[in-house]
Amino acid sequence: MGYSRFVLRRLLQGLAVLWIVTTATFILLHLAPGGPAILADPKLSPVERQAIEHRLGLDRPLPVQYLAWHRNLLRGDLGKSYLYQTPAGRTVLERVPNTLLLTGLALTLSLLIALPLGSWAGRHPGKPADRLLELASFTALSLPTFWFGIVLIILFAALWHLLPAGGMATPGLESSLADRARHLVLPVLVLALPGTAELLRYVRSSVASASTAPHVTAARARGIGEPAVSRRHILRNALLPVVTVIGLQAPLLVSGAAITETIFSWPGMGRLGVEAALGRDYPVVMTITLAVAAAVILINLLLDLVYPLVDPRIRA
Amino acid sequence: MRRLALGVAILFGCKSGGAAPGTLQLALINDPILNPVLAPDIGSILVNKVIFPGLVRPDEHLRPEPDLAESWTISPDGRTYTFKLRAGVKWHDGQPFRARDVQFTFEQILDANSGSMLWSDFSMIDRVEAADSLTVTFRLKTPSASLLTLLGYNAGIIPEHAFGGKPILDNTAFNRGKPIGTGPFRVVSATPGSSLILEANPDYFGSPPRLRQVVFRLVPDGSAQVAGLRAGELDLVTIEPASLPGVRGAPGIVVRDATVPQHYFVGFNQRLARFKPAAVRRALDLSINRRAIVDGVLKGSADLPVGTIPVALAQWFADSLPRIPYDTAQARQLFASAGWRRGAGGLLRNAAGEPFRFTLLVDKGNPSREQAALAVLQDLKAMGADATLQTLEFSSLVRDYLQPGRFEALLIWWTTPPDPDQFSYYTTGQINNNVAYSNRRADSLLLAGRGETDSLRRRAVYLAFQALEREDPPVLVLFYPRELMAMSARLTGVPRLGIRDALRHLESFGFR
Repeated sequence: MGYSRFVLRRLLQGLAVLWIVTTATFILLHLAPGGPAILADPKLSPVERQAIEHRLGLDRPLPVQYLAWHRNLLRGDLGKSYLYQTPAGRTVLERVPNTLLLTGLALTLSLLIALPLGSWAGRHPGKPADRLLELASFTALSLPTFWFGIVLIILFAALWHLLPAGGMATPGLESSLADRARHLVLPVLVLALPGTAELLRYVRSSVASASTAPHVTAARARGIGEPAVSRRHILRNALLPVVTVIGLQAPLLVSGAAITETIFSWPGMGRLGVEAALGRDYPVVMTITLAVAAAVILINLLLDLVYPLVDPRIRA
Repeated sequence: MRRLALGVAILFGCKSGGAAPGTLQLALINDPILNPVLAPDIGSILVNKVIFPGLVRPDEHLRPEPDLAESWTISPDGRTYTFKLRAGVKWHDGQPFRARDVQFTFEQILDANSGSMLWSDFSMIDRVEAADSLTVTFRLKTPSASLLTLLGYNAGIIPEHAFGGKPILDNTAFNRGKPIGTGPFRVVSATPGSSLILEANPDYFGSPPRLRQVVFRLVPDGSAQVAGLRAGELDLVTIEPASLPGVRGAPGIVVRDATVPQHYFVGFNQRLARFKPAAVRRALDLSINRRAIVDGVLKGSADLPVGTIPVALAQWFADSLPRIPYDTAQARQLFASAGWRRGAGGLLRNAAGEPFRFTLLVDKGNPSREQAALAVLQDLKAMGADATLQTLEFSSLVRDYLQPGRFEALLIWWTTPPDPDQFSYYTTGQINNNVAYSNRRADSLLLAGRGETDSLRRRAVYLAFQALEREDPPVLVLFYPRELMAMSARLTGVPRLGIRDALRHLESFGFR
């Protein structure tokens, strides 16, 4: 009973947040210097400029444009991209699966590496292997994505011809799993690296502090075996903050990773978002904002629903 | 474990890189709009040159040669052009190409509300009429010597039947997926954000394409383009001078350069009193060490300037005039003659004691331009100018400063059709004359040049204009860049032109 009211209240709050985010984006977009790339051609004559502004509705007062955007949104019309001349909604939607594939794999890889290694390191602080992991994660965190990506491309594609330099698939080739997988290796690696390092450090410190908690010492004193202590008393408690960190990284799943997608010519949302922002493609920027904000709100809602499963105390 | 090893073997086993034989792979930085009338950006323009031939195209000396038009006549008053079209040409969907299509294309171009991005190129046209199915007549408001060049530039012809009387902007299926042209290659598939695949058109009216397939890959990042070239995933890319070390001497790659119709300049706003006197602008012109910019910033891939007509337009370029010298002594004299003398602290001041102060604007993100602006700034500061540099986004530079005329100085460039007509740039009160240059003799020369269809007399006009520019420079021309192309050494048949014009000859490209 209380549970469904809680969900409903959070959904309504979500809608309010969505409205605030899109309104703020709308205002910032129009306040920023410059304007749509299509109008930035220095050769345009006044006649052409007026025709374009009129066609795009940019000659109307800002409040009118703002209201029109909402009216169209309610009708399911997100407008037409200035850069691509395609419906903004469809343009963004086309990119979502590409981005989910890339970021989803990267996050999975991060979890697969960071959870076991991090919790091992947390239970064995100060050991040489722990020190090594710390050094490795520091290095990984300080590698600039841009530089690291290009270095990998030069090594694996340009010098050794082992993997493709970019793209999602070989154009014109019958789509095959192997071909898709080969295109995924480098971008997933580059994208997963900093996230893995961050998560690993988090898991390690969370497990380390849980290991020295009084109730753990008490459990050991009661003679409970080390595996059970680990599983029931350390990991369970250490997991809670980790879920929060994963939740914080999750919006990246949707918004994509602009730099990685650009270097690897990956047709994802991150690249689309950067291109749209630079070209002041208002309809696309607004659509992406809407989609990403909605996804973040939903993910947070889901996390709120997951917490009680991880920690019974929250159920109260 | 064995399964894992197998997986790794599959992953790395198949050889990466190179596409099927006879496939040319080119790079684009953004998703193109496949309609030459609507194309707003360089990526779209490049692709459309391949899909949509025009009535004429530039030959290797940038002179118009027949393309969809077989021949043409010009009326003695220079106001009527009659084109005889090639017979038997088919659209990519098999429909016959007719004079009506040419008329339709220009109706769209001349209607600013159609979404046309070519309106100002052709504003001299009064109307275009299909006299019969293979004859089309252009009637002009004023005589134009540049019409032919412009017809071979961006004005690809689109098929009337593909739009069914509806606005061309609304035909997303055509503009973004399955365009219909008459070119040597036709679009097979378009994957948004990824690639565009074209195959040879067996019905092409010109010499049969040597390539089987052309793939445009979307590679937005310049370094990734160079890496793609080295990986064999791209066969030809244009590069920035800064990328030269990455390709020079690389196995299987050759680097070429081509002069292109561009001039880079610093524009001083002549709405402001201190930039109005010709002596001041001449002084500024002589204060710049251009050689240092060309060698240091552009790694030698640019030519030193004479005036606003670049060396790429060999027929019109004043090669008899010396390049603009670097002469600080004469510059100082000229400043003094205009009332600007060096006072305390070495700053230039006028009789009222005001310093020679200005802010130079440049767009951010392009290292060559930013460094060139910095070099200009230092040279002018050394002369005693109180100058500062401000970088800002290109769209802001254009929209908030250049076009409203609210700037003191800015570094920008013009990319022009391969024609010397600079009427709209440097004639008093014209739309692209953002620096507000005004010289009555320049006005009359530029007006004469655009209407003069006799090429010898036209050349004399532009030689006179270039000589005049030395006495009263409209802008401070910095250099004419050369376009750098890095390509597979196996690639042959690429004309010695900039990429834009070279792609008009894609049927002659092939592999050794």
